[in-house]
Amino acid sequence: MSEEKQMQKYLPLTEATYYIMLALDEPLHGYGVMQKVKKTSEGTVDVGPGTLYGAFSTLQEEGLIRMVKKEDRRKVYALTSKGMQVLRGQIQRLQIMTKLGSDFLSRLG
Amino acid sequence: MNTMDKNRLRKFKLFFAWQDDKEEDWLREMARMGWHLFSLGLPGFYNFTRGEPRDVVYRLDFTTSKIDMDEYLQLFQDAGWEHLGSLVGWQYFRKPAEAEGMNEIYTDPESKIQRHQRLLGYLMLFLPIMIVLFTRIGDPMAYPFFGVMKLFSAVVLLLYAYAVVRIFMRINQLRRR
Repeated sequence: MSEEKQMQKYLPLTEATYYIMLALDEPLHGYGVMQKVKKTSEGTVDVGPGTLYGAFSTLQEEGLIRMVKKEDRRKVYALTSKGMQVLRGQIQRLQIMTKLGSDFLSRLG
Repeated sequence: MNTMDKNRLRKFKLFFAWQDDKEEDWLREMARMGWHLFSLGLPGFYNFTRGEPRDVVYRLDFTTSKIDMDEYLQLFQDAGWEHLGSLVGWQYFRKPAEAEGMNEIYTDPESKIQRHQRLLGYLMLFLPIMIVLFTRIGDPMAYPFFGVMKLFSAVVLLLYAYAVVRIFMRINQLRRR
């Protein structure tokens, strides 16, 4: 319970942060994340470099992602297990939202 | 104070800390007239070179010394932004304007708020100096040059307070969205 409570303080994630964390289920550097987010969000979310750099700094400080290697001047990041838990919590919240939403739509017929 | 030869233009123009979007618009307007920012001089001085008129978007970021500059600049470069230089924490970037692509370096209100908070944090470093100025302003012994220094302090203080208020207002505006 206390651990779950701890996770709650990171939630809800912003839309951009959600997609950025999901993209990091494989190790990627910044620009790789930007491209992947654009693709996986079907073009609905386009993350600028200022926003991305800020998100990386914050997520790293919070221990939700970590740097796994350096390629020249680019740093490659991946999700930590704590990050994975937070993401899980966010997905549960989204599932409640979408379930409610699709129930609503089906009532409308 | 403008000096000009055929292909160079040095311009002096002051923008305050809360006017970064105005500055971006002005630089874009200059590029539309064929004057492209080449380098930054002392605060307020801009060096332009003449070229083809182009629609170019300029964006200013504000960074602290905490960041890994190599990684930061590489990311902007990968995303298509050219770095033109920096000035007391301000980073100048530009990119050809895209009709349907992205012309922003900050793409959501949350990260814009963080950017403004960094700027505010930086301004707060000057708070002790401002307090000293403020407390001495009524003290006639502190200013041997009659009212000149007093007036100068008052102007600096007012500008400072105004900048802080304006940035606070922008943060609040972004929060309301």
